[in-house]
Amino acid sequence: MSMQELEKLKSDLKALNAEYAKIKDIPAEKRAEFGREMNAKKNALLEAIAKAEEAALESEIEPLDITAPTAPNQPIPEFLSAEGGSKHPLMTELDRVIEIYQMMGFDVVEPRQLDDEYHMFDSLNFPKGHPARDGYDTFRTEEGYIPPAHTSTMQNRVLKACKKNLDEGKNIAVVVPGRVFRNEDVDTTHEHTFYQCEGVYVSKDCTLGNMLGILREFFEKYYEQKLDISTQPGYFPFTEPSLEFKIEKPKALGGKKGEFIEMLGCGMIHPNVLKMAGIDPTIYHGFAWGGGIDRLVMLRYGLKDVRYFESGKLNFLKEF
Amino acid sequence: MRISLNWLKKYVDINVENAELEKLIDSRLVEIEEIIDESKKYENIFVVEVVECEAIPETHLHLCKINAGNHELADGTGLVQVVCGAPNVHAGMLAAWIAPGAIVPASVNEDAPFVIGKRKMLGKYDSYGMLAGADELDFSTDHAAIIEIDPAIAKPGDKFADVFELNDAVLDIENKSLTHRPDCFGLIGFAREVAGVLGQKFDSDSIEEIAPIAYENAEKSVSISDPEICSRYSAVVLKKHGEIKKKYFGLTDTILAKAGMRPVDPIVDATNYLMLLTGQPLHAFDYDKFLAVGGTTEPKIGVRLAKEGEKLVLLDDSEIELVDTDIVITSNDIPVALAGAMGGKSTMIDENTKNVIIESAAFSLFNLRKTQMAHGIFSEAITRFTKGQPAYQTVNVALHCADLLKDGFVVEKIIDSGYEQKDNVVKITTPEINGLLGTNYSNEEIVKTLENVEFKVAADGDNLTVAAPAWRTDIHIKEDIIEEIGRLNGYDNIAPVLPAHATAEKNKMVAIKSQIRNFFSLTGANELLTYTFVHGDLLEKVGQDIKNSYRLVNSISPELQYLRQQIVPSLLVKAHDNLKAKYSSFALFEMNQTFSRSTGVDEDGVPIANNNLAMVVADNSEETKYYLAKKYVEELGKKLGITLSFKKFVPVPKEAFYEPKRSASIYIGDTIVGCIGEIKNSVLNKLKLPRGVAAFEISLEALTEFATLKKAAPEISDYPTVSRDITVITDAPYESIFEKLQDKLESHDLVFKLVPTSIYQAEGAAKPSLSFHLEFADKNKTLESAEILAIMDELEKIA
Repeated sequence: MSMQELEKLKSDLKALNAEYAKIKDIPAEKRAEFGREMNAKKNALLEAIAKAEEAALESEIEPLDITAPTAPNQPIPEFLSAEGGSKHPLMTELDRVIEIYQMMGFDVVEPRQLDDEYHMFDSLNFPKGHPARDGYDTFRTEEGYIPPAHTSTMQNRVLKACKKNLDEGKNIAVVVPGRVFRNEDVDTTHEHTFYQCEGVYVSKDCTLGNMLGILREFFEKYYEQKLDISTQPGYFPFTEPSLEFKIEKPKALGGKKGEFIEMLGCGMIHPNVLKMAGIDPTIYHGFAWGGGIDRLVMLRYGLKDVRYFESGKLNFLKEF
Repeated sequence: MRISLNWLKKYVDINVENAELEKLIDSRLVEIEEIIDESKKYENIFVVEVVECEAIPETHLHLCKINAGNHELADGTGLVQVVCGAPNVHAGMLAAWIAPGAIVPASVNEDAPFVIGKRKMLGKYDSYGMLAGADELDFSTDHAAIIEIDPAIAKPGDKFADVFELNDAVLDIENKSLTHRPDCFGLIGFAREVAGVLGQKFDSDSIEEIAPIAYENAEKSVSISDPEICSRYSAVVLKKHGEIKKKYFGLTDTILAKAGMRPVDPIVDATNYLMLLTGQPLHAFDYDKFLAVGGTTEPKIGVRLAKEGEKLVLLDDSEIELVDTDIVITSNDIPVALAGAMGGKSTMIDENTKNVIIESAAFSLFNLRKTQMAHGIFSEAITRFTKGQPAYQTVNVALHCADLLKDGFVVEKIIDSGYEQKDNVVKITTPEINGLLGTNYSNEEIVKTLENVEFKVAADGDNLTVAAPAWRTDIHIKEDIIEEIGRLNGYDNIAPVLPAHATAEKNKMVAIKSQIRNFFSLTGANELLTYTFVHGDLLEKVGQDIKNSYRLVNSISPELQYLRQQIVPSLLVKAHDNLKAKYSSFALFEMNQTFSRSTGVDEDGVPIANNNLAMVVADNSEETKYYLAKKYVEELGKKLGITLSFKKFVPVPKEAFYEPKRSASIYIGDTIVGCIGEIKNSVLNKLKLPRGVAAFEISLEALTEFATLKKAAPEISDYPTVSRDITVITDAPYESIFEKLQDKLESHDLVFKLVPTSIYQAEGAAKPSLSFHLEFADKNKTLESAEILAIMDELEKIA
């Protein structure tokens, strides 16, 4: 579109505004209709002008050689200075978490950020319509999809996919690190978007004692010191028994003797969950756990406000 | 849920210190959020006798002389003077006196607790302390009167806290972890578990307040439309035969208050007290109003689902529109109560109530959950019902309620729909228990643990037949029994043991993301995480079709309403913020998931997730950042062993914000795997960003698929290397020249390195000059000058 055409649209608009003044000569009962017509015309013109202006803006643009290493008479670009670069602390720590679990023999599977009612609740032995579903403050899309409120949404998929391990006489050992969502108000310790790491272990003869062993080992490796652990009975429809797992706050992080902090929920996988994945619960047992990563990282770095993680602020990120 | 420790101690012998008890409950039953110490709350409050009480003329006040035992403030006659404004103050009564210097209990938790002192009233009457009402003592909001204490339980000078067991601690329990334990929402049930935790045997039948009351001739006169919504409906009809004079302040008042409830009137208080004790909610109807609403001479009680369009005015005067999942109690089919949630106004008991129906029922927790959501009712009763209160005790609790009210009422009739108590038996073996827990409990230990909390166990060697008590409706499978054994004996007593493990499989995408993160951060870029949810305005600003984004129906705010289709727009917003925060040059990158409705669903029927790597390069120079962005992605490709090529931009609709003349599609082989380009000026304007900002977004799935561990061995020549510069004047695309030079060099048997050095175009010149630095050596021999000249000659002919 040329500049003349743009000018013409603008003068049309002026003319239209002038015409609008005639409204006072129109019989009262016809004014509303007149007003509507004029408005429709005006909106159409305004839209055309906006488009024309945008087109004018883009038309001045010269193409560039997309295959070249630089533009004519410009130096070939250098990377930015290495000191200014940074990895996101959550991702750095998540990589460490993954590395530790991999050393302990756990495969890694990443979750999806949009899932369904079946994987969020049904496959995890939540009865339909059960009040326990309310505790998760889930978001929902128009179609009824759910941005997962826990990484346990992947349990059914993992169990089904790894069932063949059991048939081959091996165990299932998988961790699922990823992003989860809860519809809750944000403050210094709560985010609607955060990270969890789920663990799933299935074999013929694993015990609750094994679960405690693995969890203690993980936290000792992560915090690089011996740690006391303690537990609390919990309730999750997908594990039986269910527990909350705590560790003694590491000394390096200012912990005192006897000061325990809650790290995650865990338990022996409910037989119905195994059944729904086609695994015979009379032959195999399993345990599973899931815990927040944000908290782990906040503790490690002494961060006071969880909201920094997704803030995108370079003054925060460049510190890592 | 709040539980008074003193009340708990009535039902279980707590033989450990509070700290130890807290630890045991916390690790074997339920999380205690806090223990509220109330031991100081009622200090310096005394039981006193009002000895003299004279009205002060032309005021509502009385001048009283009280006997507070041998109190230090007593005058020569042994009495203390206090002015009291309550209408019920009279000589001879026992009252609660807050002595000067004491804090008014109701204000204990306020920022400035109110300390009682000595005051001069009406300019001439000294008044020491105050005679207290239930409101000042923090038991109710009733300000009308002062409390009167039964002389049978106290005498002047007694400490108020001692008489009413107020030297207490209150356990604040995290309800969530008891979601499956309706029995623990009554004090008896909680006490039973505490006994189990302490290793003591609990015996419900020995507790008088809940012991079975025998009865005969229960009428079945209730119509329940569907047993799914109400497994049992019981009621007792009470006829008035005398007055319940609630004269004295009593222990029940303190129990209700400590649980966070308020004393209302004797009938309602009795129903609430029994709910707190047993977990079974009760509701009281005015019998005569109930008949009047239904127009019947006998109560015609019905339980059914509400019909669309029906309305009900509740006790709190609110009128609600019922929904078809609400359960209603009806009188001759007219709704009179929202079952399990709240009674109706039309049958509410009041001071004129003569006869009463005490309802005790078990309703569907699923329906009540919907009722809770639909009408926003979060009463103590519905909290219990939504845990699934069992049906076994309905009649007995109602009869105990009648017993509490026997001074004023006599049981006229018992109504009970009846129900079938099913045996709940689990067969399990000792090895199964120890095998899942990793323990070594003996048969005896297991049997004792279960019997302590009133399971019945028949043991035949290792084979145990376990019958759960009626209130344990959560027991269904072996694992439920195993949980009891592990929990009551303490999970913390189970030794942590590492299982054997195999070697983990590598997750290639996770490994590649880690590699990308390392490479980019070492080349000066910054990794960001931004929200998966974006504002609809952002989608519109960047020209993406808002209908192609999944929309949340319950987003926190409009800013977080849509799932993003691409990561770059989120990074552009952050680029603006960081430029504003005085960072003048940066490259922001993020690896995350994106969703578009047009992408469709996978074999599970859930939207396909696209894992992308995105980067935005921005600075204040207004020069193009395209080439720096390209360098980042191109060099990354090399790191991953992938050759990326940049070809004519073939945008898809969600890439509408890239300037088509200054953008490219990124290819691996013949496949488009992403795009790179400058952002359109119109979009930059809307996002308040300077000219020249460039970005790329590329599929992590593709990078993962094509990345290779295989590294080409570097070719090295043992012969002298020739170093030359070469310039080609051309307006052909850069890459075509570069490739031609490469091809030419490859046609000779050379080891070579071709590095771009500059692109120069003099003002007015038609074509730019492309300069390269070239190093080469023959693989097999030392190159002669003539050979070198010939090669250079060939190269210079290109263009």
